Amino acid sequence: MSSLQADVCIVGAGAGGAVAAAELAEGGAKVVVLEQGPRHDADRFSARPVEMMARLYRDGAQVMTLGSPPILLPLGRGIGGTTLVNSGTCFRTPAAVLERWQCEYGLHELTAEALDPCFGRVERALSVAEVTPELAGANAAVARRGAEALGWSHGYLRRNARGCVGSGVCAFGCPTSAKQHTGITYVPRAQAAGAQILTGADVRRVLVGGGRARGVQARLEGKGRVEVRAPEVIVAAGTIHTPLLLQRSGLGSGSGQLGRNLALHPATAAFARMDETVDMARGVPQSFYVDEFAPEGIMFEGVAGPPSYAAMSLPLTGARHAEAMADYRRLAQFGLMVSDSSRGSVRSLGGRPLIRYELLEADVARFRAGLAHMRELFAAAGAREVYLPLPHGVQPERARAKDLKLMAFHPLGTARADARPTHGVVDGRLQLHGVRGVHVADGAVVPSSLGVNPQMTIMALATRLAFGLLGRGVPSEPPLPAEAAARSPV
Amino acid sequence: MPGDLERFIAAGPWPQRAGLRLLLALARRPRGARLLSRLPPSDQLAGGLLAMKHFEDPAIARSLGWDADAVAARGRALRREEGRP
Repeated sequence: MSSLQADVCIVGAGAGGAVAAAELAEGGAKVVVLEQGPRHDADRFSARPVEMMARLYRDGAQVMTLGSPPILLPLGRGIGGTTLVNSGTCFRTPAAVLERWQCEYGLHELTAEALDPCFGRVERALSVAEVTPELAGANAAVARRGAEALGWSHGYLRRNARGCVGSGVCAFGCPTSAKQHTGITYVPRAQAAGAQILTGADVRRVLVGGGRARGVQARLEGKGRVEVRAPEVIVAAGTIHTPLLLQRSGLGSGSGQLGRNLALHPATAAFARMDETVDMARGVPQSFYVDEFAPEGIMFEGVAGPPSYAAMSLPLTGARHAEAMADYRRLAQFGLMVSDSSRGSVRSLGGRPLIRYELLEADVARFRAGLAHMRELFAAAGAREVYLPLPHGVQPERARAKDLKLMAFHPLGTARADARPTHGVVDGRLQLHGVRGVHVADGAVVPSSLGVNPQMTIMALATRLAFGLLGRGVPSEPPLPAEAAARSPV
Repeated sequence: MPGDLERFIAAGPWPQRAGLRLLLALARRPRGARLLSRLPPSDQLAGGLLAMKHFEDPAIARSLGWDADAVAARGRALRREEGRP
């Protein structure tokens, strides 16, 4: 077994791990990052969804939950984690959510004011800017037309992209490297500051002795076992895999909450056939939102993709599917995401995650309302036909859980933060209750649904953790320049 | 190209792999397709997978205005021009 020594060992190089690695290494700490997946080469990004799903996603983007309905849960794997394959949407944690965390979970230090420098620092590092209408493309224009006709609140999304040309395949590997995922932003910074990044590292255990972290043990692909000795360990393996690693290590189970409280932001999408050419994959797929119903837990955000992606998600069969796909250039698509009150769990079965999640009636009701609103939105935009993701003949008002065709992109909460050791796995500083030096920095610590995309929340919390370990305050950043760093769409 | 769908299925965990292969085998045979038509969710999944494979074909995608090779080539050119990773 080979052995390495570090000040901090980080498990995972996604939204949380990469950010913590860069900030700690630049702050003078000796950092080792262990990433299970590979380093992806942008030269091999082919803009073909089927090929890229097999290559960039964990289990070929086929991770499923067990329950009614089963939910597809695509997760990225490799340097950059899910930031490599997400849509790049950037929202700060909503103030109402932070207030709830303070009241319900005792996380009094996580105020909007305290997190402001963390968000500012991440936004600057990732070149976060609002998408321009030109770059958003015709798919967003359809939704905007509908929202304006109905008087619904809407806007263009802020994204971590620089020099984007609207390639339309954010979820399948950005061929221009315009999306500023952590694999091309924070990871190179970490390496430049001396951090050692090891890929193909399957971390088996977090080592603890005398009530504090001692390091981790891992198996390195083709190189045997490695032990990294470190007094600080940050677990950032993602909401699904972090609890499994902690369970294997016999850690974090004191509250009984490890692996529980799984929130997902279940989502679905509808299509519409328009009179005009839409070419949904030309432009930024997720560039526009409608938040009229956000207070009810219903958020609309753009989704789109090339023909093979649309063919898989179009909720039709047989001749109707073929007929609609023949008119792909006039198809528009928009997504619906629910801030869920349902909660699931994750545990290990034969070394693999078994994810259970049952959609509660309250969330089914949100989907009923959301799908009815989606139909209104497309109708107001002038759609000739609307294809809702429901079985033939089922109206939104009568949809049952088993009728819904759902995906989810934002797993959260399986090692939730709570100031009370009896209620949470980590405290407000993201340290495991009762074990000094073991921290969690990924979606697992987020104690509730956010109602918005979580990558900024995860990165801001990781920033705060890193500066906490360095014993420094997070420096305030000057405001971002106003211009959106983008070209016209091609 | 025929390999892409198989590689996609092979990347999945074993229960899905076995299930999807069975589903596709049924969908490709007349009797199997008739059986699937009585199971709408399975029918839609099988149809979706076959359609996904069909529309990943470059010639078919191009006829619908999507040229993956051109998108990837433009990306490579821009990355080189601007010195991006």
